[in-house]
Amino acid sequence: MDGAPPRIDGVKLAIMQKRFEGVTRKMANTLLRTARSGVINTARDFSCALVTADCDLLTAADSYPIHVLRGADLMARAILHFHPDVKPGDAFLHNSPYHGNTHAADHTILVPVFDDRGVHRFTVLAKAHQADCGNSLPTTYMGTARDVYQEGALIFPAVRVQQDYRDNLDVMNMCMMRIRVPNQWRGDYLAMVGAARIGEREIVRMGEELGWAAVAGHARQWFNFSERRMVETIAAMRSGRARMTCIHDPLPQSPGDGIAANADVIVDSAAVRITVDLTDNIDCLPVGVNLSEACSRTAAMVGVFNSLPQSVPANAGSFRRVDVRLRENCIVGIPLHPTSTSVATTNLADRVTSAVQRAMAEIDPALGMAEGGAGIPPASGVISGRDPRHGGALFVNEVILAGGGGPGTFSNDGWLSLFTMGNGGMPFYDSIEIDELHHPIRIETRRIVPDSEGAGTYRGAPGVLTEFRPVDCDIEIGFVSDGTVNPALGARGGQPAIPARQFLRADSGAVTPLGTSEQVTIRNDQLMVSYSNGGGGFGDPAKRDPEKVAEDVREGWISAARATTVYKVALDETGRVDVVTTAALRA
Amino acid sequence: MRLSVDVGGTFTDLVVDDGAGLLKVYKSPTTSPDPIEGVLDVVALAAAGEGRTTQALLAATDMFIHSTTRAINAVVTGKTAHTAFLTTRGHPDILLVREGGRTDAFNYRIPYPAPYVPRSLTFEVEERIGADGRIVRPLVAASVHDIADRLKAAGVEAVAVCLLWSIVNPAHELAVAAILAERLPGVPVTLSHQLNPSLREYRRASSCCIDASLKPVMTRYLRALTSRLGESGLAGKMFAVTSQGGIADIEELAERPILSLNSGPSMAPVSGRHYALAEHGHTAIVTDAGGTTYDVSLVRNGAIPWTRETWIGPLYQGHMTGFPSVDVKSIGAGGGSIASVDGGGMLHVGPQSAGSNPGPVCYGRGGIHPTVTDAALVLGYIDPDFFLGGRMALAVEAARTAIATQIAQPLGLSLDDAALAIIELATETMINAIEEITVKQGIDPEDTTIVGGGGAAGLNAVAIARRLKCRTVLFPEVGAVLSAAGAIMSELRREFVRTEFMRVSHFDVARANVIVAGLRAEAQAFLDGNVGAGRDTVIDYFIEGHYPSQVWEIEVALEGPIFDATVGAANLIRDFHARHREIFSFADDHDEVEIVSWRAVARSRIADSRAGLRLATAPPATGERVRSMVFRDTGRLDAPVYDLDALPQDHPVTGPAIIESSFTTIVVDPGSRAVRQPAQIVVEPFLGRLAGQGG
Repeated sequence: MDGAPPRIDGVKLAIMQKRFEGVTRKMANTLLRTARSGVINTARDFSCALVTADCDLLTAADSYPIHVLRGADLMARAILHFHPDVKPGDAFLHNSPYHGNTHAADHTILVPVFDDRGVHRFTVLAKAHQADCGNSLPTTYMGTARDVYQEGALIFPAVRVQQDYRDNLDVMNMCMMRIRVPNQWRGDYLAMVGAARIGEREIVRMGEELGWAAVAGHARQWFNFSERRMVETIAAMRSGRARMTCIHDPLPQSPGDGIAANADVIVDSAAVRITVDLTDNIDCLPVGVNLSEACSRTAAMVGVFNSLPQSVPANAGSFRRVDVRLRENCIVGIPLHPTSTSVATTNLADRVTSAVQRAMAEIDPALGMAEGGAGIPPASGVISGRDPRHGGALFVNEVILAGGGGPGTFSNDGWLSLFTMGNGGMPFYDSIEIDELHHPIRIETRRIVPDSEGAGTYRGAPGVLTEFRPVDCDIEIGFVSDGTVNPALGARGGQPAIPARQFLRADSGAVTPLGTSEQVTIRNDQLMVSYSNGGGGFGDPAKRDPEKVAEDVREGWISAARATTVYKVALDETGRVDVVTTAALRA
Repeated sequence: MRLSVDVGGTFTDLVVDDGAGLLKVYKSPTTSPDPIEGVLDVVALAAAGEGRTTQALLAATDMFIHSTTRAINAVVTGKTAHTAFLTTRGHPDILLVREGGRTDAFNYRIPYPAPYVPRSLTFEVEERIGADGRIVRPLVAASVHDIADRLKAAGVEAVAVCLLWSIVNPAHELAVAAILAERLPGVPVTLSHQLNPSLREYRRASSCCIDASLKPVMTRYLRALTSRLGESGLAGKMFAVTSQGGIADIEELAERPILSLNSGPSMAPVSGRHYALAEHGHTAIVTDAGGTTYDVSLVRNGAIPWTRETWIGPLYQGHMTGFPSVDVKSIGAGGGSIASVDGGGMLHVGPQSAGSNPGPVCYGRGGIHPTVTDAALVLGYIDPDFFLGGRMALAVEAARTAIATQIAQPLGLSLDDAALAIIELATETMINAIEEITVKQGIDPEDTTIVGGGGAAGLNAVAIARRLKCRTVLFPEVGAVLSAAGAIMSELRREFVRTEFMRVSHFDVARANVIVAGLRAEAQAFLDGNVGAGRDTVIDYFIEGHYPSQVWEIEVALEGPIFDATVGAANLIRDFHARHREIFSFADDHDEVEIVSWRAVARSRIADSRAGLRLATAPPATGERVRSMVFRDTGRLDAPVYDLDALPQDHPVTGPAIIESSFTTIVVDPGSRAVRQPAQIVVEPFLGRLAGQGG
């Protein structure tokens, strides 16, 4: 082994890397502050990333893992494939799931960055989930779409939208004719291009200040550093193999017992590699939940990174040690045009991630985690209609009021505001007041649901009850609430969460039950009731620290009855642990 | 005359400003549990120094500025009031759900944060107001009476009320307050629409709960302070330092104690900026090393670091205060930090502090745990007979014994090496704090200047600079009391806000002029009503606005308080687009602009500090002498000690050496060079390697 590099090099490397991360952070700030749709400016459903001229991911700091972990590389490559003549001033709009994007609703602006001699050095990306992408129905999650044609979104495979820093008005005009609430889209487009240009400006500044050779040369060192860190990490892990399966709720046209995601995971600490094989899964189906290649690769990777015993920078360097095996036309693989991938970022992708992390827990009980609460319930549906307060103006937007609860892990209870595994708890949850200001809705309830968690030594986070209704109008909502049939599962003896549930309740008391995937009207006299799916538990609930159980009861997370029956903890009348009875219950 | 008092964890600092730009500094131990005693002690010390009685000094004081860490300490240590949170039915989890968000995507080892007020003390009020202010469900008074009974039973000491849309229609919050006043007399209540009239219920609720939880402790404290200073003869007005880096009337602080939350460290960058700007106009790391905490902030191009989203604790894991404040990072490291060796043979320094009572072993007040100050004494950096100008003799032998038995023996080190290890570990901790705000933001500390403030700064600021390869360290003359001096240089400042929506396409010049004139009148009345005001009074006017359906506003300055009827909003529109382009790289030049709020900021300097504040020099104590001291590079040797007040200007001193005054000790490491300049000492750290030093 050659001598460790002197500390100062490590410090210089860290400083340079933080500067790159600062670039994506500035991009993200611009996008959040200037976007027009709530899903971007309030829920922060977007990511900013940076790849090298070789299209290797350098940083996606503060981004949603599912958005850019893998796929940023594929998209940057698609640009060079379609446009070998990239020039300063270019910007590309890319949303094609057949060319590296996640799903059609994630519009991505990519800007290649050049040095003072015109050499292409980096590419910056700003990817944001659009309020609308021109689907045949007003939703960005078409769970039952039989193909991309029924989805209906405009697909842009790395289309040049700016040349010499000027917009290609033809492309914009097409969008203005297809995307609902076109001015909202246009404002979001400007914000995304603005964010990408901020990224370009910051990198050019770095190049001028520190020298382009140093700035570009940094990536290779950082990748090597990250790979070394990954090697140390895997070498210390327990070797083994495991298969785990997580099952998405059935949809029309799918097998009746649901859509299984099988993950075969091998940890080989001698060869210092981790392999995730997703090839033993069914072919693509005529539904919207097929994964894009980017989502298949990323979902597997998220399960691996969630289960590492220490933090390793996630970039092209550390990725060298993880193999993800996919096959074409597989539902969790590489879809072929015109397969629909409308819902690729959340539902089945989360099932893949959860299968991988549960398999990691099987291989090593001191790693991994249970299954995350499934997404995405009506509390995060796409709502649309005409706003009576603004002369009946059209509106469409995804509200993010609540989502799945986090899974219990080998060392911690679930993270309450997880949303989905692929988002990793990073979205912001909407402010009630902001949502009511911007849409004709009133949110009557948002509270955690006692006793809805997956019980465990470390319990999952509970589900959330959200109730909302239109104000002075009817509205429409679309969602694909996985976990309604198959709730999040536990790991290593942990229990599953309570399933998601959704229904409409009219003021008359009449209840309209709703299934997993729906596009329905909420009448003026109806309340949309959404129970989201909590996270699965990790380990035997009867081994949970009794003091934590007592605290959960005191704080209203679980009932005293559940403490006794499931956690085997008895409390006295003041709520303190009854040590003797508890010992007897647990004996 | 103006007095500025800063109550720190270990020392209470006092700066006397006679109005002629010459400052005098006094320092006295902070007293516990009654810190006001320490305030009176330091005032008495100053009176003696001025040759007057306390009564006479306070009678001649027209401004008394106070700064305290009491609020933040109460929050961090959980010693706030037993507080209940009342909110709209259906929304009990505002403080639990917060606004979501998480950092570090793959690290699930961080636990989900507990709400600021537990769910068991959260109560849902039967009521609902809509987004347009309409009453959707009338307030059910019985539900509030029922809650009041439960609050009584729970022994609640403070109540925060944050109902949805109270900012549009405060009727229900006011009605709840009326019932609580009747049913729980004497229990302080904070209403969200009064404290922080802003959109977004989590931020408003969070600030409301923090404020309510501070009211009992801060009201008691401020009331006692006011009455005891009054009894001692204070005739002038009292002001308090705020988290915003300004000062405010002390009565305002009692009403809104959240204003003082981060006030302790907020003044260091205000004064640090002054010195950094005067010398080198680029990036400065302002440090304030006290007995208990080490505060660091980054001043770039003269701008005070500012954050609109202030978190107590880590981002998305602590609590958002909902108020903007000066951005300062604080860690538990200082002269009082306790050194210990654990069972595994690991040395620890801090974050536990011996504070002022009992204080370090060498204070001889019953402290038994060795501290950083004890180590500095053993190493010869501090003169046992000259501490605080000789007012406090230090017990060297006790310090030596404590380090020898508790640190040196378990580690198998000599006494000197053990003391060096303590200082080095404290240095490392402080370097980590600096790296947090520099390296982690992509800023190379090599290109910065360190401003060493705080009484303990001189012990290792040069060592820190050497490790970070900084080329310059500044020690302001008033550095030992950086925060108290900052308050003297700060501004009296208050914002006046009017929330009124207006689209520029339908700009109503007459209405706009009425709004701004109203703000102007309020601001002017504020300036006229304050004795401290008078120097350079300024009122600036701004609007906050956005493009349609954006939800984050940008601030645009108005050209003046009056819109011309023929120009209308044309210049404002032009300036909005320009500002948007400047911040975000693009503008939507033809789009509508929506004005959300109108603001006037009244500011007034309280001292003429532009010329730079100088310290009145005391007569030189003993001149140059020699003391035995220890450095890692050289081992123990005899090195010169210079008296700061006697050191001639532009006459460099090369280390190893010590420059000391009554309030501070600057350790000049071997090979480093120090020069006295007007108002400060400048040190160039030695960045090379000494001959003969091992590799």
